[in-house]
Amino acid sequence: MWATNLKIVGVVLGTLALYTLIANKIPQVQSEVPQALTLGANVTPEQLVAAGEKVFNGIGGCTTCHGLGTRAPNLLTDERGTGPIGVRCAKREPGKSCKQYLYESLADPTAYVVSGYQPIMPVMTRQLSPEQVWAAIAYLEAQGGTVDVTGDDIAKAKQAAGPATAAGGGATPAGGPGLAGGSTDPKQIIQAAGCLACHKLEGQGQVIAPDLTHVGSRRDADAIRRKILDPASSITQGYEKLAGIMPKTFGSMMSASQLEALVEYLAGHK
Amino acid sequence: MSDVLLLVQAAADTTHAYRDFPLIGARAAVWIAAEVHLMFAAFVLGVPMFAVVTEAIGIFGGDERYDRLSKEFTRLLLVAYSATAIWGAILVFFLATLYPRFWAYLTAVFGTSMWVYASLFFVESFTLYLYYYGWDRWKKGRAKLWHWTLGILLNVWGTIVMFIANSWLTYMMTPPRDITPTTDPTTIKLWHAIANATWMPINVHRLIANVVFGGAIVGAYASYRFLASRTAEERAHYDWMGYVGNFIAISALIVLPFAGYWLGREIYQYDQSMGITMMGGFMSWLWVIQAFLIAVLFLTGNYYLWVGMERIPGAERFRPYTKWLLVVLVLGAIVWGTPHTMIADSKELAAMGGSHHPFLGALGVMSAKNTAVNLMILTTFLSFLMYRRANRRPVVPWADTGTRIQGAMFLVAAGIVLFYGIRGYFVEAIVRIGYSVYQVLAVLSCILFVTVIDILMARGAQSLGAIQWGKMPPRSQYALFILAVTFTWLMGLMGFARSGIRQYWHVWQVVEDTSKYAATPALGYAARMISLCVLIFLSLVAFVFWLGGLAEKSTFVSQGEARHVGH
Repeated sequence: MWATNLKIVGVVLGTLALYTLIANKIPQVQSEVPQALTLGANVTPEQLVAAGEKVFNGIGGCTTCHGLGTRAPNLLTDERGTGPIGVRCAKREPGKSCKQYLYESLADPTAYVVSGYQPIMPVMTRQLSPEQVWAAIAYLEAQGGTVDVTGDDIAKAKQAAGPATAAGGGATPAGGPGLAGGSTDPKQIIQAAGCLACHKLEGQGQVIAPDLTHVGSRRDADAIRRKILDPASSITQGYEKLAGIMPKTFGSMMSASQLEALVEYLAGHK
Repeated sequence: MSDVLLLVQAAADTTHAYRDFPLIGARAAVWIAAEVHLMFAAFVLGVPMFAVVTEAIGIFGGDERYDRLSKEFTRLLLVAYSATAIWGAILVFFLATLYPRFWAYLTAVFGTSMWVYASLFFVESFTLYLYYYGWDRWKKGRAKLWHWTLGILLNVWGTIVMFIANSWLTYMMTPPRDITPTTDPTTIKLWHAIANATWMPINVHRLIANVVFGGAIVGAYASYRFLASRTAEERAHYDWMGYVGNFIAISALIVLPFAGYWLGREIYQYDQSMGITMMGGFMSWLWVIQAFLIAVLFLTGNYYLWVGMERIPGAERFRPYTKWLLVVLVLGAIVWGTPHTMIADSKELAAMGGSHHPFLGALGVMSAKNTAVNLMILTTFLSFLMYRRANRRPVVPWADTGTRIQGAMFLVAAGIVLFYGIRGYFVEAIVRIGYSVYQVLAVLSCILFVTVIDILMARGAQSLGAIQWGKMPPRSQYALFILAVTFTWLMGLMGFARSGIRQYWHVWQVVEDTSKYAATPALGYAARMISLCVLIFLSLVAFVFWLGGLAEKSTFVSQGEARHVGH
């Protein structure tokens, strides 16, 4: 019986060892806690690229769409024969350097939507701090190109953004230009706010949240305004499980004239 | 000055939020306590389901072997209950002492349900004692039915206890969206917290998984007793018991992926970023390991059936087909294990030539994987059907027609699975997701209707000889051990996936983990932890089995006593 017992122990330990070994042989990825990024004036390109890689794969959430090959252009690998982003960024817009093009793509993603993709990217300068934005740009430049981001770029961006974003990104600086540079063009507001990442409107956008094409026929202007300012105030039938997903910050992101322009525009979609 | 005071206060708060555990750290300590507790809990919830069904077969089928089998399962439960309670207490003590602030938060939200939980555990334990110790006293007539009712009650209490505990952990994953970091936990309505987005999917998923787990552990127990048997009769009994355990485990396993899809869909609907973290983010490699484990389960389960056919007269008719079944299973496993959207750095992506492998990328998508797993399920069902029909020759006049209809059903189901699998490449994702429902329905319908036809065809069937229970080579019994270890390991892996997608949150986007263990570890570390937990659990289970053997002699019934030799 001892021989049988030993065989059983052998089978059990062997099976456990096999599974453990396989799990240790595959690429090891640990999910880190996002750290506040502090980059000084003398930051080196290597430091920027290393920090940018973490932003790209972590808090930036870039891999959610870029890299899947379906939702957004590949950035780290070839995109339709044009090479990775570091190779093609300087050629995308005449007269714009790679760095300028990438910054504007992050600050105003609808400015240069690549043909064949939808304008679903949120404004990254609202979600990330200047350090994180420029680190991400440096990382993207490093994908086949030359890194020319410096500590000056970060310092200028911090100065332009004001004290609120300098601390960590996200909030609109008091007295700043606000969403879409303060524009009251509802289409620009919609794109800058990233509404189309979830809603569909006039054939564009995603179908995760209710289609806004005929939103004016089911909600009047007051209801639309209330919904924007307090998304939890009412939930469209069939979308109860998505309750709470819509950000509650649009009210503080828009000026009163922007809000009214947007409300009027949506209410007109009967 | 006030700033300094705030800093001091913050430091004091941090000190009281977490404490560490010697050598292995607080996270590992809680991990081991929670995982081993969960494994025992799954065992003591799965086995009573098993016991009550086998007791019913004994009562209504008149076969005493099932009644004895049921009692033997229940005997194993007694010690396992104590182990479950001990590990549960260890977990609570660890949480209260190592994560005191988070524990305080949980008790503020769920305190009332914790009292109910403790009371029900008490009731459940005493129902178990009545059920087991009353077995021989309430053995005949109406008393036996009352006894069986006790078994049902045992399952009811156990299920409620599990549902309550599930509400705590699902709240941590998917708290209702109106709850924010500033929400005072004492103001959260209990039912609002319980009925969160993933509560019911987890309930259903765990209910089925417990049956699978219970079956696998019972199978391992039977295989141990088989290998230790001294007489042919005892060997026959435990061979049969192992077969029943494996049959139930594999049958429930077939349904489990559908409950898993539901859970996954709810996670995506609750928070897309959480879903993407789970399937395409840092956890993406975990699913390749899962595919490997499932492949082991399918291959080992089928292997056990094929070896088992060697002891069935008439089974040689089907032997030439098994190699083709093996081919389908291996190909299916390879496709299912093909990686697709993986976290990769730029060098890896460049080496691959893109975000997906140029050839294998096409096999890594859900269209191919769903097709593969559905064909593997159909193949496993075909193996079981051959096993079932091995020693029978149907005599009903429509036997040939019935067999052809069965064959046609298999072909139609496989055709539907393949059709939607291929079509899925040419439609949008939102349409493609819906195709998996058609594939699943085709497979389940095939299993249902083929089984009904088979039962009708088996009426009065000519026997080609009784199953030679006990005449199984020892290698088949080691296969049962591999199944039990794999099921247990898979449970640990899926627990890591479920818990790990919260990343650095105790309660997703409500209570942040600010301890030094907040980062979610990579799969290698998780695998070592899982293996350690499985080893602790199996060692304790082996001790429980040994104790069970000390308490009473084995319950095998000689051939003369058994009225039927069933499957």
